[in-house]
Amino acid sequence: MSGSDQLSAVFSALADPTRRAILAELADRDATVTELTAPLPISMPAVSRHLKALERAGLISRTRSGKLRMSRIEAAPLREAAEWIERYRRFWDTSLTRLDAHLAAVQAAGRPTDRTAHGPALPDSESPGKSHDKEN
Amino acid sequence: MDRDDPQIVISRVVDAPRDLVYRAFTDPDHLAAWWGPIGNSLPREEMDFDIRPGGHQRWTELFPTQPGLRVDVHIDLTDVADGELIDGVAHVTGQLPEGIEPHETRMRVEFHDEADGRTRLEIRQWLPERLVGPADQGWNEAFSKLDAALTNAHPIAVDVEV
Repeated sequence: MSGSDQLSAVFSALADPTRRAILAELADRDATVTELTAPLPISMPAVSRHLKALERAGLISRTRSGKLRMSRIEAAPLREAAEWIERYRRFWDTSLTRLDAHLAAVQAAGRPTDRTAHGPALPDSESPGKSHDKEN
Repeated sequence: MDRDDPQIVISRVVDAPRDLVYRAFTDPDHLAAWWGPIGNSLPREEMDFDIRPGGHQRWTELFPTQPGLRVDVHIDLTDVADGELIDGVAHVTGQLPEGIEPHETRMRVEFHDEADGRTRLEIRQWLPERLVGPADQGWNEAFSKLDAALTNAHPIAVDVEV
C-alpha cells in the first residue's frame, strides 16, 4: 500500500454497502456484471458504476475473457490487513503444533494427566525455583 | 475492537484432557514450552501471570537469531472461567520484527471437552481496528470472505471456520 491516500481511497470505496457486497461476491470468484447484478436490488448500470469506483480504488481489476468482461478482486490494497491475518494464522498454526508436541511430551512422561486441576504435571507457577524438566 | 466478528476463528482438537490444556495456556512454565513462533524463548523471570478476570499475563519473547528483537506481550484479561475460558486484550510492544507495529489484539480461547479425553480449542482473534477499517458488519463480512479466499489459496493445517 503506497500511503494514506491509497488507504483513504480503499476505505472510501468500502464505505458503501453495495460495493462491499460486490467485493464479497468477488472474493469467491471472478464475475461478470450480469452475475454481480443478479443478487442485488439495483440495476446493471448502477452495478457498473460501483465497479468503476472499486476499480479506481484498486480493489478490483477488469479483464476481458472472450466476450465476457470479468471483474476480479485485487487483494494488494488490502495487503497490510491480509498480511496481519496471515501472520497470526501462521502464528497459531505453528504454536498449536508445538502445543500438540508439548502436551504429548508431558503426558508421555508418565506424569499424572491431572483431570482434577490439582497436582499439576509441571512445577506450579508459584514455585519457579523448581526444576524445569517438562521437556523430558 | 470487539463489537464485530473476529477476523480469525480456529477450531482445533488436541489430544489431552481439558484441565491440562487449560494449564498449557495459563501456567507460565507450560506456555513458555510451546508459545511460538519457532526459535523464540520466553525468559521465565519475565513472565508474570495473574489468571483471573481483571488479571493479566505478561511475558517477553526473545529471538536468539535476532538479538535486537524483544517482543513484550501484556494481556489484560477481561474474562476468565477456570478450565473453560480465557479472554483478553493483548498489547504487543517492544523491539518488534520488521513489518510489525505495536498493536492491540483481543484473543479469546475456549476449552471444550471432546470424546476420549481430548479437548477442543476454539480460538478467536480480533485484529487491530485500524487494519479492518470502518468497523461495521458489512466490511467484516467482506473481509471474512476475503480471508476465506486467501485461506483456500494457501491451505494450512488448522481448521478454519468463516
